[in-house]
Amino acid sequence: MRSEAAAVRKEAPHGGGRSLREPDATPARAAEEATGWSGALLCLPLALTLALVVYWPLSHLFSTLFTRAGSEALWQVLSAGRYRTSLLNSLLLSVAAAALSLLLSLIPAWVLARERFRGQGLLRGLISLPLTFSGVLVGFLAVVMLGRAGAVPSLLRFLTGRELLAGSAYTLGGLFTAYLYFEVPRAVMTLEPSFRRIPGELDAAARSLGAVPLSRFGRVFLPIAAPALRATFALAFSASLGSFGVALMLARRFTVAPLEVYTQLTGFSNDSVAGALCLVLAASSFLADRLLSGGRA
Amino acid sequence: MAGSFLPAPPAHEPPAPARMSVAAKISTAASGRLVATALSWCVALFLIAPIVVAAAGAFSSSEFYGHRSEGSAPPGSLGLFWYVFSVWGRSLGTSAALVAVVVPFALLIGAPAAYAFRRRPFSGSKLLEAASMTPLSMPGIALAVSLLATLGGAPRFTLLAGGHLAYTIPLVIRAVGNALESFEPDIEPAARSLGAGPWQVARWITIPVLLPSLVVSALLVFTVSWGEFNASFLLASPLAQSFPAALYVTYTANSFPVAAAATILFLLPVVPALVLIQAIGGEPFRRGLQA
Repeated sequence: MRSEAAAVRKEAPHGGGRSLREPDATPARAAEEATGWSGALLCLPLALTLALVVYWPLSHLFSTLFTRAGSEALWQVLSAGRYRTSLLNSLLLSVAAAALSLLLSLIPAWVLARERFRGQGLLRGLISLPLTFSGVLVGFLAVVMLGRAGAVPSLLRFLTGRELLAGSAYTLGGLFTAYLYFEVPRAVMTLEPSFRRIPGELDAAARSLGAVPLSRFGRVFLPIAAPALRATFALAFSASLGSFGVALMLARRFTVAPLEVYTQLTGFSNDSVAGALCLVLAASSFLADRLLSGGRA
Repeated sequence: MAGSFLPAPPAHEPPAPARMSVAAKISTAASGRLVATALSWCVALFLIAPIVVAAAGAFSSSEFYGHRSEGSAPPGSLGLFWYVFSVWGRSLGTSAALVAVVVPFALLIGAPAAYAFRRRPFSGSKLLEAASMTPLSMPGIALAVSLLATLGGAPRFTLLAGGHLAYTIPLVIRAVGNALESFEPDIEPAARSLGAGPWQVARWITIPVLLPSLVVSALLVFTVSWGEFNASFLLASPLAQSFPAALYVTYTANSFPVAAAATILFLLPVVPALVLIQAIGGEPFRRGLQA
């Protein structure tokens, strides 16, 4: 008898008031026994959807590695000039853009999280607006601003009488700026809630002990914020690694990996190379996420 | 002397701020805050200026940019929008239908799962939760290529919906999961102990409490699905083409005013959705996006 009651209490997810219940409350008891099953049942649609649209396709992509054509393509992608260049371009550009956007986002995220001022909601709204812009739209905006007849070159011509930055949207610098454009909103919106959770007393305590701002930043802020900063870096990195629309609009004299996938697939129907490039992209994104966010879901 | 057992005093005196007057300290802090706020507005300007310039373009005269290749809208009128409607109405319809399918399915699949992860954990639920987040860090084109390799025979609209679901369900799980974490877990057992059945608890407690997060998730799924390009462009066919894919065609084939008009049509539903998200629940929204 006692052991049964104990078992019931153990099964109950929130032990609290359970022991007060009358012993003849059978429907509730039945529901309790079904707890494990009901949770699994609620997740069934999710599991089926994930299996169908994510894991089956991805495991198929992975399985091509073990075919002859697939492994040859992977070797080709990792060794040959053009494909490897596109991968390296993507990786370097994504690391650089993620790092700079993280740096640019620190102050806005801090201001939004810790300060109170008029127009704060507007500021947050303006910064979050480009959050869901598709890549082509960001590419178009880059052309509008930095294209051959873009707003910035026109303004500079008006001010200085010289041709400056005209067509810079189509250079590596233009692509980099466009990456920053869609990463900064992401980074700010990710950092803000984490910054809000940092207790302010720690900084005040460090200040009262005479720490200068630089050492408060290095010894108090950075260690506490490090997990959020790493996770944000991983998010920005994989967002730019997978960004295809921006490159489709802007990349002219160089190539990045997602664009190369598209070119190989539609231009040369070179499925195995496209698959191998996708595999490397997916693996890099996945690794960055695991290593930097520590598998935090 | 007792003092000799104490460590030697530091060579340097504590830094200058200690000696600074209170007024000076406050003014440095205030000016620092002012600079930080100004820098934040500069970041906002960097993000908003291109949208303003592009929007202004939609109302400009296309003759200014050379030949009128399409339509003949008098400058300053809405004519270009009708032109875009007439050419790209079909893909606007596809995007609208896609959103109408993806939003309810993402909620119906994601919200119960989020509830199970927080309230009815079972063996393997942690693994499933992590697995549901993986698509967020998966390049869209990689998913599109593998979807075409395995399910390429399915109707393209179904494939588009499937791809969008992969990217939107995790957002629902996060937003609803965060809302559940901040809601007292004892309320539901309390209602059960007072005799409420499982449906009554869901109807009168769980769903009302989660309503803001459900609305925010729906809006979030809407904006993401409406703007998704990376996976959709490859999955699209001429008959099932989402509006962002059509945008790419206008950007490469049409004059600047037409492209700008198409951009504004794209933004038209996004801006109110984002405003609503901020108004209803900025916090679950921002936490929902958190990695």
